[in-house]
Amino acid sequence: MLFSSLTFLYYFLPAVLIVYFLVPDRGKNLVLLLASLLFYGWGEPKYVALMLLTITLFYLCGLAMGRWPEWKRAFLVLSVVLGAALLGIFKYADFVVTTVNGILGSKIPLLRLALPVGISFYTFQCISYAADVYRADAKPQGNFIAFGAYVSMFPQLIAGPIVRYVDVAPALDSRRHSREEAALGLRRFLVGLGKKILLANQLGALTESYRASTEKTVLFAWLYAAAFALQIYFDFSGYSDMAIGLGRILGFRFPENFDYPYCSRSITEFWRRWHMSLGTWFRDYVYIPLGGSRVNRVKWVRNILVVWMLTGLWHGASWNFVLWGLLFAGLLLLEKAVPGLKRLPGGLGSVYVVFVVMLSFVLFNADSLSQAGTDFMSMFGLMGLPGANGESLYFLRSNLVLLTVSAVGATPWPRRLYEKVSQSPVFAVLEPIALIALLLVCTAYLVDGSFNPFLYFRF
Amino acid sequence: MKRTRQYGIFLAAAVWLCLAVLSWVYPARAESLTERRALAQKPGLTLGSVLDGSFMAKFETGAQDQFPFRESFRTVKAAASYGVFRQGDNNGIYLSQSHAAKLEYPYNESAADRAVNLFQKVYDGYFAGQGGKAVFAVVPDKGYYLAAPGGYPAMDYDALFAKMKEQDWAEYVDLTDCLSADSYYRTDTHWRQEALLPVAEKLALALGSAVPREESFTPEALETPFYGVYRGQAALPMEPDRLVMMTSPVLDNCTVYNYETGKTAKVYDLTKLDSRDKYDVFLSGPVSLLEITNPAGPEDKTLVVFRDSFGSSLVPLLVEGYGRVILADLRYMPGSSLQDYVDISGADVLFLYSTLVLNNSTLLRW
Repeated sequence: MLFSSLTFLYYFLPAVLIVYFLVPDRGKNLVLLLASLLFYGWGEPKYVALMLLTITLFYLCGLAMGRWPEWKRAFLVLSVVLGAALLGIFKYADFVVTTVNGILGSKIPLLRLALPVGISFYTFQCISYAADVYRADAKPQGNFIAFGAYVSMFPQLIAGPIVRYVDVAPALDSRRHSREEAALGLRRFLVGLGKKILLANQLGALTESYRASTEKTVLFAWLYAAAFALQIYFDFSGYSDMAIGLGRILGFRFPENFDYPYCSRSITEFWRRWHMSLGTWFRDYVYIPLGGSRVNRVKWVRNILVVWMLTGLWHGASWNFVLWGLLFAGLLLLEKAVPGLKRLPGGLGSVYVVFVVMLSFVLFNADSLSQAGTDFMSMFGLMGLPGANGESLYFLRSNLVLLTVSAVGATPWPRRLYEKVSQSPVFAVLEPIALIALLLVCTAYLVDGSFNPFLYFRF
Repeated sequence: MKRTRQYGIFLAAAVWLCLAVLSWVYPARAESLTERRALAQKPGLTLGSVLDGSFMAKFETGAQDQFPFRESFRTVKAAASYGVFRQGDNNGIYLSQSHAAKLEYPYNESAADRAVNLFQKVYDGYFAGQGGKAVFAVVPDKGYYLAAPGGYPAMDYDALFAKMKEQDWAEYVDLTDCLSADSYYRTDTHWRQEALLPVAEKLALALGSAVPREESFTPEALETPFYGVYRGQAALPMEPDRLVMMTSPVLDNCTVYNYETGKTAKVYDLTKLDSRDKYDVFLSGPVSLLEITNPAGPEDKTLVVFRDSFGSSLVPLLVEGYGRVILADLRYMPGSSLQDYVDISGADVLFLYSTLVLNNSTLLRW
């Protein structure tokens, strides 16, 4: 089920919230678990069993680590290997087979398993739990329902942020619900919904128009690149806002996931602001255990390459994701080697980041390396395409307001403006009107069946 | 956060909840009159449909179509799209010169080739060497007059018309200079019958038949408002069009035989004013094979028109010169089966399809 659907907004969520707040505190985790399984099963009925298997596996390993501390390393390895194996079978098996067949000319048959949505998110959450229990950062969760609610929690199940067990463990046992938190959560949810439906989806329609066009131009290729870079930001950060907002309503505090990444002045800074929960996960559970930067130069370079190759693979089982990850590894190493790159004067740093990231997302969004190559060549006029034509000029004109609003919306300016005007007493009246208008317009777009893609099916 | 602001946010939640409850209890509707389609219903809950996922897949579509105040929400979306985001189109429909029109592009050359080849096959199969006149004309869609001045992308009309002119088995008649944007309904794809006399004249001259004269017809405006197909797709409040029928004593005496139903009707079928598409008053709408009998026309003269829906309003203006007019729509019947139903030996033939069909000619069949 998608957040940006009428089924979720007007059937699932109201019903779940009513039941959740009606049951006593001791029953809330059970409501959350059942609601989350329904949420997941709505789109993937057959994969609910896989999720329950993963939950059970990590739950038992966590208990075993607490019960037999001398064997906890073995249980950690067992849980991580089994979790990674499930992820590997469902997500990476065909990628490996295709690659092996390509190299060796063999004909090993593909498994052709459908990728369970959200498997990367919940597997990583489970691994973080096992690692936190192993490192004694958290106690093993003895309550299966509470642990199941953590792993399957619907607000962040299919698009993050990746919530580490230690961050929500206290709230799983006992959490406080307040009117203020619910109000703040609701506002955050609606803002995220608006980002997703009004900005990301429309930018997505523009990128689809480029893909569908049979008369591409250089201008259209750049429009596509800009639109997709903004689409993925507003889609992903919109989903994160909705997740964080729902978490607050339900009494949880989820980590922030985006911090105006396009305002970064270096790629290093960009990755401190983009999909922050994934970055910190890889830092804490891969990079630092490998030795981080406290090793010799060769090993350090190896660590960076490993982390970024895995980051790329996490986003999808395809070589363009591997290249995408390695591209960032190269840029980060370059910025370490040439510190001046991180201190470019004036707005030059932001221009450098936006340009590089936009190109990287062209690679990210391509179905194959050859398509990425075609897209790059189209952008730089190497495909013999005309500079512009009636179609591309129309799409530029027709989406100028959308692109401008999105570009401004990706900066902290709207937030600063909000903080300034929100002090005014009139704002107490304007804010609910604005939120109601936002809800109604988002609903209108859903009722009209507007373009509504789900970008995370490969994650 | 101050309590007043919390209450303000909860006001938004209350609106949300009210809409949710309404969507649970709102009575189901069968069809959308503006979009001229049956609305999806929420699916019945069965174990099988849940396990195979079809219940969930159909639920969202049902929820969209059955959402309370659906038409108003669609209007809000259109207003946001055109007014706030200043987008050129909403669902592919743009507004220009008070017309709603559809973005139709790009030009599909292979579709145009396919259409021309199919028409030639029909001509060779039935009409070549039979002595009748053969005429070929293309109906420009309204985008021909609206797209370029408004800066909207459009198919390459010049290339399409050039290809149509290339064929040498029929006389090609260019209709573009007989029409303008106002020759079409503002809310619909079709042309207005009352604006088609210049078109009919040009075609009649090419066919060598009686030229329709303005004084032979009396325009009769229908009271029922006509909301065209683009009005429903644009989802904006647009003033309705008025249908005008060009009546004449000759047409009053004509009968129209419908080979699909086996029934006979009049040229203007007023029972269709109760149907989804009121344009269907012209020759009863989309029908695969019709035969108009004109008792006042020359008995030995037959015209066969291969046409789409644009032909329904034009052909009555050509009837005067013929005792019999056959209308066949190759979208609904294969051309090869025509001889099974009617005798067309020695007939004149007119191929009259719109750019919309020629650019999507997979619909046409031999």
